[in-house]
This record gives sequence, structure tokens and C-alpha cells, in this order.
Amino acid sequence: MKYAPFFGCMITVKYPQMEAAVRKTARNLGMELVDLEGFSCCPDPIFFKATDKLTWLTIAARNICIAEEAGLDMVTMCSGCTATLSEANFHLSTEPELKEKVNQRLKRIGREYKGTISVRHIVTVLRDDLGIDRVRESVKRPLGGIKVGIHYGCHLLKPSEIMRVDDPDYPTILEKLFSAIGAEIVHHEKQALCCGKACMSENIPEKMTYDVLTSLKKSGANLMGLICPTCFDEFDLGQIKLSRKYNQDLTIPILYYFQLLGLAQGLSPQEVGLHLHKTKTDQIVEKLAGSN
Amino acid sequence: MGKLCDFFHYQLMSSKSINYQFKKKLNSTLGGEAHSYCYQCGACVGDCPAAMYSVDFNPREILLQALLGDEEALTKKDSPIWNCTNCYTCYERCPQAVRPVEVIIALKNICYQKMTASPEVNQIVESVKASGRTVRITSLSDRRRKELGLGEIKSVPTDELKELFEP
Repeated sequence: MKYAPFFGCMITVKYPQMEAAVRKTARNLGMELVDLEGFSCCPDPIFFKATDKLTWLTIAARNICIAEEAGLDMVTMCSGCTATLSEANFHLSTEPELKEKVNQRLKRIGREYKGTISVRHIVTVLRDDLGIDRVRESVKRPLGGIKVGIHYGCHLLKPSEIMRVDDPDYPTILEKLFSAIGAEIVHHEKQALCCGKACMSENIPEKMTYDVLTSLKKSGANLMGLICPTCFDEFDLGQIKLSRKYNQDLTIPILYYFQLLGLAQGLSPQEVGLHLHKTKTDQIVEKLAGSN
Repeated sequence: MGKLCDFFHYQLMSSKSINYQFKKKLNSTLGGEAHSYCYQCGACVGDCPAAMYSVDFNPREILLQALLGDEEALTKKDSPIWNCTNCYTCYERCPQAVRPVEVIIALKNICYQKMTASPEVNQIVESVKASGRTVRITSLSDRRRKELGLGEIKSVPTDELKELFEP
């Protein structure tokens, strides 16, 4: 199955370990990623959307046009890119007046939004196109015994009428995917809480991150599993700052799903870039080595 | 009692009349038009993380101010609207399809026009205009990609993007 991958800014530039993990694991799942030329920032669904929604939609539509011209569905690896591109695709394919306005601008660069492709977060491709069984079958080294506390993040699921991924209050998609690679899921109290990254107050995100991390620690999880680089940014760096500030050990490894999938498929910690994380992942690596 | 009577209190105590001009402006901003359907039920508040963690942020109150067209409170520098976490839970909860988060984003769009938006917002736009990306490419990012066996970062045709910023 062929898809046009859209890695966005955060993964491409700041967290290339996530891109490496996706590319290497997708190959093992029989997913063909066809790289297209010319993508820009999605653009960012928080700050950029806050400036002018029509410009935001137009630049998003330009990215979608590139995939339309290639006749490929887009697969996104970041919840933020998923939000922008899915929202744009939804509004432009259901609101003809808006589409007309956007196309007037796109005409200047010789492009036209048609509404012929879909945008999907890669985890939905795993669940719906490839199937959980194929994910399970790709595993060579199950993660037996590793306890994962999931952090869903907001934009994979909401707004549900647009995202159409899962029940926004009782989702199961990530439980299914983490279980398929042999992880033990541990539920924690603040599992559904937002990471707070998009809030511009100083105090609110800090308190939220603190609560998520303490809830995770309490649950006995060995690591946090997530699917969004923005949430990762908040927790990986955030926990070090907060541990210092509160003089309390809030550190816990944060892993992107595809890094863990890579380890389960037999890739080395280096190949999925675990050494690039701020929080040490040694315990995970040791635990994995011990269980096999 | 307090919450239920807020609407009337607000009008009585503030001696402000409804600013219809601002409401019209909000109605003509994408996503702002649904604000008038709000009947102040407060369903948006219960699961709002920003409201849970701060008394300064309450989506129902923001919608009340929008209903009254309180331009000053909503679009001044450091307006409480910037404390929204953009989690979209209110979008899920609202029985009137007001989509409070979208109204808040429409208000942010108005702030951007009035140049009262938070400086980080301007930085993002400038960065996208200049490089097509929000994150700056450094020698470290190039080195890390190489180490992971990834190709070079492709450049973005910024000349195309520039054309799209003009109304």
C-alpha cells in the first residue's frame, strides 16, 4: 500500500528519530512511503491558525494539492499536522464557498484543491488498512513485561466529527497498537489530559505536565507511550525542568509508538534514536535485553 | 446562583451596552459566527483543562463576553483567550455546535489584525514566510538526521507560499 508521508516540521527538524523509526518500521509492515516534493509547514494548528484562518487553510490546501496531484493519500506522523490537514480537508470538501475562496488564492500558483484524497494519522493506517494482526506479526522481539502508560494527546481524536478516529472519551486505538507489540498497558488517572503545550500561560501547562507525570509514576508504568512530537516535547524536556523545580523525581522515559514498534521488530535502540532523548532510556533497553 | 445570573449582572454592573459592531466583526471572522448560538449552559467548562487549572480561564465567560461584544476584554493584550490549551474538548461537549475553541481562535485572528496577539504567534508566521517551516534547521539537526540514516531536509518553495499570504 502506497502513501505520501507528511512528516511536518517538529519531526523532520527537531525529532528525526521519530522519522527514522517510522521509515524503518513501515518497511517491515509492507507500507510504501512515496516522498513528494514541495511540502511546507502544515501550517501549525495553534499559532499559525491564530493569525488568519483563511491563510492557514490555503497553505494547508497547497500541501494537500501536492498529494492530490500524485494521487496518493497523505499519512501524517504528528497529531498537529493531522489536525491541520484533516480540518482543512474536511472544511474544503464540505463548504463550497470556502473552497472557492481558497482556490482563488491557489490559482496564483497554478494549483487547485479538489478534495480527492484523504489525510490520516499513521496509527489509523496501522489499525484500519494494515490491520493489528500485521503489526503483531511484524514483531520479532515482543516487549513482554514492559508497562506502558499511554498519553493520547488531543488532536488525534478531537474534533471527533472531523477526525473520525475513535471515541474521543473512551479511545482504544493506542491500547490495541501497544498491546499488539507485547506491551502491558497500565491505565493512569491523567491519561486523557492535554499536554498543555498550546496554552500560552506559564503556570497552566506546568501544572498539567506535573499532574500527568505524577499520575504516570503512581501507575507503575515503565514508560510513557505517545504518538505526537509536540506532546513529546512537553514531557521529555518538561520532566527534567519540573523534577528540578519540585525537587522530586518525575523522570520517566517517553517513547514515540514507532520507536517501541521498531525495538519490537528487532531494531537497535540507536537505530530508533533513543539516545537522542533528554530522559535516559537505559532502563527500557536493559529490561528489553533481559526479557529476551 | 452567581453563574446563572452572570449575564444580567454583567450588564448591570459593567454599565456596558452590547457592542453589535464587534459582534458583526466576529460573525464575519471564520469560526466566530456560531458564537450567537451560545445559551450559556456551561457544558464547555466541566472538562476544560485550562479552566481546571486556572481561575482566569473560563470558556463560558469568554462566550458571554463574545455575546456582549466586549471587544476590550477579549482582544486586549494578554487577553485570557491565550490560555486556551486548544484541546477541542469544548467542541465535543457543546450542545449548540458553537465550537467555543473555534470562536476563541476567531478572536485570536482579530487580535492578530489589531496587533495585540502574543509575540510567539508573529514569530511563527515570520518563520513560515522565511523558510516554510516553524522549526529552524541547524547543523545539529542535519547531523542527527545523517546519523539516523535519513536524507537531507528538502527545501520549501517559499516563493509559492508568499503568494498565498496576500488576501
